[in-house]
Amino acid sequence: MPLWRSFSPTLYGPPNVMSDSQHRPAGIYASGVRLIATRELAAYFDSPVACIYAAVFLVLSCGTYMNTFFLAGVIDLSPYFDALPFFLIPFAPAITMGMWAQEHAQNTVELVLTLPLTPGQVVLGKFTAALVFYGLVLAGSLPLVIMLAWLGQPDPGPIVTGYIGALLTGALFLAFGLFASGLTRDQIVAFVLAGLLGFIFVVSGHDQVVAVMDGLAPARQIGTWLYDSISIMPHYQAFGRGVVGLTHTLYFFLMTGFFLWMNQLTVQRIRY
Amino acid sequence: MIAVDAITRRFGSVVAADRVTFRVNRNEIVGFVGPNGAGKSTILKILATFILPTSGRATVDGIEVTAAPLAVRRRIGYLPGDTPLYRQMRGEPFLRFVGAAHGLRGEDLEAGLARVVQAFGLQPALHQRIDRCSTGFRQRFGLAAALIHDPPVLLLDEPTHGFDPLQVVEFRQLLRQLRHGRAILFSTHIIPDVEAVSDRVLVINRGRILGDGSLDELRQTLERPRASLEELFAHLVRATERDE
Repeated sequence: MPLWRSFSPTLYGPPNVMSDSQHRPAGIYASGVRLIATRELAAYFDSPVACIYAAVFLVLSCGTYMNTFFLAGVIDLSPYFDALPFFLIPFAPAITMGMWAQEHAQNTVELVLTLPLTPGQVVLGKFTAALVFYGLVLAGSLPLVIMLAWLGQPDPGPIVTGYIGALLTGALFLAFGLFASGLTRDQIVAFVLAGLLGFIFVVSGHDQVVAVMDGLAPARQIGTWLYDSISIMPHYQAFGRGVVGLTHTLYFFLMTGFFLWMNQLTVQRIRY
Repeated sequence: MIAVDAITRRFGSVVAADRVTFRVNRNEIVGFVGPNGAGKSTILKILATFILPTSGRATVDGIEVTAAPLAVRRRIGYLPGDTPLYRQMRGEPFLRFVGAAHGLRGEDLEAGLARVVQAFGLQPALHQRIDRCSTGFRQRFGLAAALIHDPPVLLLDEPTHGFDPLQVVEFRQLLRQLRHGRAILFSTHIIPDVEAVSDRVLVINRGRILGDGSLDELRQTLERPRASLEELFAHLVRATERDE
């Protein structure tokens, strides 16, 4: 009777170990990031859930815009960009909520963090995948631009900068989401935490909220302080007006970088 | 190849590993046995650089695990307990992902993949989603992922979990083949696994090493010349629990 029913007697010789100088995966930092990003992106498209999120996001954001468009009858995409942060509050956490929480729940975190990749590569890989997925979903609104161009002559400047702002804002929301996902093994908790962060960063930029907050403690002017220091809206709205200012761009890069760095710290914390 | 010197790991007030010291040499298979919660997985996680020791020093192939974790990870094949896998992935992309993370590209990756597919008989499940595979196949995918880059050090946490008796026998043969040029440390609850393939046994309980040696050495040390490993294990564990 053959002994090897399922395993084959592959003759293993001595191991053939690559030296550290021959080793390529982490040799180039970007190759490790790309590897993780490719796996995560494939996971999005393997699951119908991500596609359902994307469809709901597009239907709601574009549908709301079309309603405004028919009421106002103006060849202008700014109402779409004005409303976008509110749609991102639930959408971005839905994209990211499983990225770490699921790794913790299924213990694949032990698998991925014992591969020869740094936590930074894994975090950036996950972020890149989420950003590419969001970019593809955002591109689903481009038919609105085609429609406006067909109906009239929209100003291309604010549309282009609006999309840049939408991409940067989405990136920041995704960084919130990754950070929140790294804190818990429960996807719902991650979703709520990230949504809450997004909500605070958006509503702190609204005049009524600023006024109410200032009114609560007039001496401290908390509303104004939040508006000036953390709110997304003043920076995001500048892009909607056709301005790509260095300060506004830096705000998004620094805030996104900060939350990704925090995410990396939460991942490293697992080792302690 | 594996040197562990006075490793201690605390989780809050719980001491999971208490000044653990042992060696695993090249061409050696060492079985790590102990009851649940004894500290076996903790030691393996430290050696795999997943967690840090609270104190002490551990090296793999001469590299300290805390100082150069990436270099250590390139030299180890690690099968974590409960075999975590990306279950929504299909078998082949999963193995390619792990191989690529270990630096395999082109022909090297194809050769590594072909070797583990043949060694673990993975062909029937290669294109299935991992979550739709049987427990035995999932375990084989975990082992294949640990071996795809042909590492010189293997750290296997409960490697025969989910195997049927014949697969266990086959796996033991594979381990014996793998011994050449490698250091293999595996943890298990299944004493016959240890008796069948190990050159040496480490008995651990409550984070402390109670016995370290071949079966004959343990019999001599404990003055029980006819005892089986199961009896020796029970004797060591009960003796420490009585002392405490």
